[in-house]
Amino acid sequence: MRQLRFVLATAAAAMLGFSGVGHAASQDPILIGVSLTQSPPGSVVQGTEVKHGLDIMAKMINDKGGVLGRPLKLLYEDDQGIPEKGRAAVEKLITTNKVVAIAGGHQSSVCLAEIEVVHRYKVPYIDTNCWSDDIRTKGYPEVFNPANYNTHVATAMAETIAAMKVKSVVALAENTDYGIGQAKVLGKLLAEHSPNIKYKYLTLDRASKDFTPTVLALRADPPDMVANMALPPAAYIMMNQLYQQGVAPSKKTWFYDGGGISDYPDFWQNVKDAGKYMISFGLYHPGMPMPQIGKDVAKAYEDQFKHGPNRLTFQAADSILVIAQAIEMAKSTDHAAIIKALQTGTFKGVRGEFKFSEKPGITFQQWVDIPYVTYQITAVDQPLAKTVLVQAPGQPIDVSKLQQPAN
Amino acid sequence: MVHEHSNLHSSKLRSEIRLSLAILLLLALVPLGVQSPYWLGVLIVSMYFAIVTSGWNLLAGCAGQFSLAPAPFAMLGGYATGLFAYHLHAPLWIGLPTAIVIPALVGLALGRIVLRLSGVYLALTTLSFGEILRVVVYNSIDFTRGDQGLNVPGLVESRVAYYYIFLAALAAVVVLLYYLLRLPLGRFLQAIRDDELGAASRGIDVVRYKTVAFVISCAICGLGGGLYGTFAQLVSPELGLIQSTGLVIAMAMIGGMGTLVGPLIGALLVYTASELLRSVGNIQMIVFAVLVIVFARFFQEGLWGLVRHVFVRPRAARETAS
Amino acid sequence: MLQLDLLVTGLITGLYYALMAVGLTMIFGILKIVNFAHGEFYMIGAYTYTLIAVGLGVSPWLALPVAAVAGAFIGWATERLLMRPMYSGYGSWRFMKDEYAVVVTFGLSLLLINLVNRIVGPYPMLGPALWDAQRVAIGPFLMSGQKLITSGLAILLLVGLALFIKYSLWGRQIQAVAQNRFGASIAGINSARASNLVFVASGVLAATSGALLAPVINLDPAVGIFPAVKSYVIVVIGGMGSIPGSIFAALLLGVIESFGAVYLSYSYRDAYGLILLILILVFRPQGLFGERAREV
Repeated sequence: MRQLRFVLATAAAAMLGFSGVGHAASQDPILIGVSLTQSPPGSVVQGTEVKHGLDIMAKMINDKGGVLGRPLKLLYEDDQGIPEKGRAAVEKLITTNKVVAIAGGHQSSVCLAEIEVVHRYKVPYIDTNCWSDDIRTKGYPEVFNPANYNTHVATAMAETIAAMKVKSVVALAENTDYGIGQAKVLGKLLAEHSPNIKYKYLTLDRASKDFTPTVLALRADPPDMVANMALPPAAYIMMNQLYQQGVAPSKKTWFYDGGGISDYPDFWQNVKDAGKYMISFGLYHPGMPMPQIGKDVAKAYEDQFKHGPNRLTFQAADSILVIAQAIEMAKSTDHAAIIKALQTGTFKGVRGEFKFSEKPGITFQQWVDIPYVTYQITAVDQPLAKTVLVQAPGQPIDVSKLQQPAN
Repeated sequence: MVHEHSNLHSSKLRSEIRLSLAILLLLALVPLGVQSPYWLGVLIVSMYFAIVTSGWNLLAGCAGQFSLAPAPFAMLGGYATGLFAYHLHAPLWIGLPTAIVIPALVGLALGRIVLRLSGVYLALTTLSFGEILRVVVYNSIDFTRGDQGLNVPGLVESRVAYYYIFLAALAAVVVLLYYLLRLPLGRFLQAIRDDELGAASRGIDVVRYKTVAFVISCAICGLGGGLYGTFAQLVSPELGLIQSTGLVIAMAMIGGMGTLVGPLIGALLVYTASELLRSVGNIQMIVFAVLVIVFARFFQEGLWGLVRHVFVRPRAARETAS
Repeated sequence: MLQLDLLVTGLITGLYYALMAVGLTMIFGILKIVNFAHGEFYMIGAYTYTLIAVGLGVSPWLALPVAAVAGAFIGWATERLLMRPMYSGYGSWRFMKDEYAVVVTFGLSLLLINLVNRIVGPYPMLGPALWDAQRVAIGPFLMSGQKLITSGLAILLLVGLALFIKYSLWGRQIQAVAQNRFGASIAGINSARASNLVFVASGVLAATSGALLAPVINLDPAVGIFPAVKSYVIVVIGGMGSIPGSIFAALLLGVIESFGAVYLSYSYRDAYGLILLILILVFRPQGLFGERAREV
């Protein structure tokens, strides 16, 4: 008995010893500060998805030996979706925890408050999912944007709409900077390139629970296409009500989503029948070519959570990856050195290789050509992999692949 | 009889102002020891809440008018300053006073409509009004930039300078309230609070005094909001959330309603605690909510009430005895 | 025709608002306080319904009464544990009563929202429908089967409540306590129990409306804030303590919002309630049906 215990103990010790190999040496960890939403009134769904992506990438980096031989450590703070809390959180992370960089911002109004703080302290800031153009146009050298931006989506949508040859479009935009910003840019682009398409947008209250009156008005005068620029949960409610009233998706009216809602993990649970035939602008699709590291992240996510990843996963992973690569390039964790490396370096991200643009304005320090696809859902509960890819990255859209329901 | 009552009232006020000044003095000494800009920032925001809570306390604690809109009025003050700066490019020495004047005017108009009503009606109406104010600010995207928030220019550069500006404002508010309450106004408000009908029957112009309290309260809340805007350099509709009003109410309750020093204690304790609880992870909000309930349930008179029972009462008893 | 569609949809929305607001007006009538956690009673009902039906796999028709019971329980517990001190210590803090109620119910609201967020998770969920048909034609109107059933149940509940208050013994006791608490207790009515009953009823109504709307309004921990704020507006417009007043005001608000959203502006939909509120306060401060509140 005692012998058995001794053997077991030795085996355990040996395993522990072996598991130490390949891990980063237990030195001072490199601290990265993360401010995201973990409680209401902010979007906890987004915050959680961002957190998953960040954790997966941090673990992958640490498993390969860390950065400059040191492990990465993520320090999380809850901003509750409130700009003031985000401001306080980032300030705490910078002054008390002395982090090397800040990442994780995913709500534009909070990001806008946070970039003021990083600008004052000159700490690098990686915008993980804030699409607002203002974050870029401010021109703060500390802020870097590997995430999507409104004009990009609007450009993609304008091209798709023109190719589909629809005659009238109504956009339903949430009453935030993201929603209205995108709706306006889309309007401008359509007016420039396809002036014969009738376009208008309606603003919907993001906090509202019922859009039936607006849907009824659309039923009385249906357009050829309804475009969505709202996020869950309002987007789900709206889709359901559009479907229940027979407005869209229907034989007469397409439903085109620009908010990327179909890759939220709770999408099907909330929309059910209404999601069939939806066309979507997608920042992630299993059919997209991806570098090996991107595929590794996807696999790690699926193994852990038992369903497919979404764009937030990859945007978050890229946030950590660029910080890590910038530190390696600069061979230092000094703030100014990291910023310089971010400005000049080429990064091998999980979605592709890129550099941050130097052009001032809406693409300042932005990854300009973020790859995207357009796809259509053709069945209820359809996993992303089985949806029909009607536009591969960099290619024109193939409208013949689009389907319409019978009624 | 009246003589003794007025002695009691003013001696109560005196001990409160002494304690308040002591706290303010302590606050003034803090930057000598604490260098961390983060903690100074926490105290600055606590002082913002102390200002707003003091304003609300005048109305609800002293006058018994239970408004549920301190946060939206603070938001209004912040936006007044911000909008003047953004659209008219007004410098802050014009912009900040508007943070006092505009909420006061809005308060005057609203008060006209609402102060004729009693208790619960007032609460609900101010709540609804505040909520709609917030919704309007949120949706007027072209005017207020909606949920992105409005950038407000900064007042000064250094964190410590902001600290002393806030402290000076808070001190001014507390001293102003002290002198106001020493006037007959203070006792009339108390009479209105305790028994409105009785006060009216004694010839007190109830509507007029309620309006005065309402307007001053809105002005003070607005001042807090305006200062906050220059500190955070951003005002957003979240300043006026119902949750923020609830926070203000909790601070007054915990510190001691109807007293001069209660809002001070309450705001400092509650806000600093909410930042300290940050490290408890995302259950900090749960812990805080439980604390609010337990405190309200078992320490109803607030901390200052407890202290007063132990220290002040015996002294007053001695005074009246002699 | 669009106008008819809008009217019907407005009335249906008004029915939902009524279900929420009626419980709140009853609490006002009897205790003269604001219940900040009212929206969370709704939320608890919605979550109980969804979790039981989805998690345990039982029929939604069974989950519905369970949700009602959950609402009853939480109403009872709130009154018993948190509200009692308010009037048992009536003398010592006359002027703190309202504040106490608001602070304590605000704390409760915060607690419930964050507890649910922590225990269940933040993802929006959708409750199972009582009737799965997505499109049901009633004459010229198209609506989902769920909406049809919900409206019917809402009408039943409201009528049932009105009858209960007007004709049953307990109902009349509640009316007595609402009119004059002191006088009622002289007459031998147990005012504590009446208050408790009202809270239970309020909990049941709010929870049931949460459950009925769970398939229509995606749930998340903060879903209760919206119906709560609407309820406050409705109760003021309808008149404090008046059940028919709240029902009427709720229907009115639903219809106004419906037309306003299409013909005026969608984003300011919530403002229409306020305009009505201000008009009422200027011209008829006791609300449409309330008793004259004390004026100065």
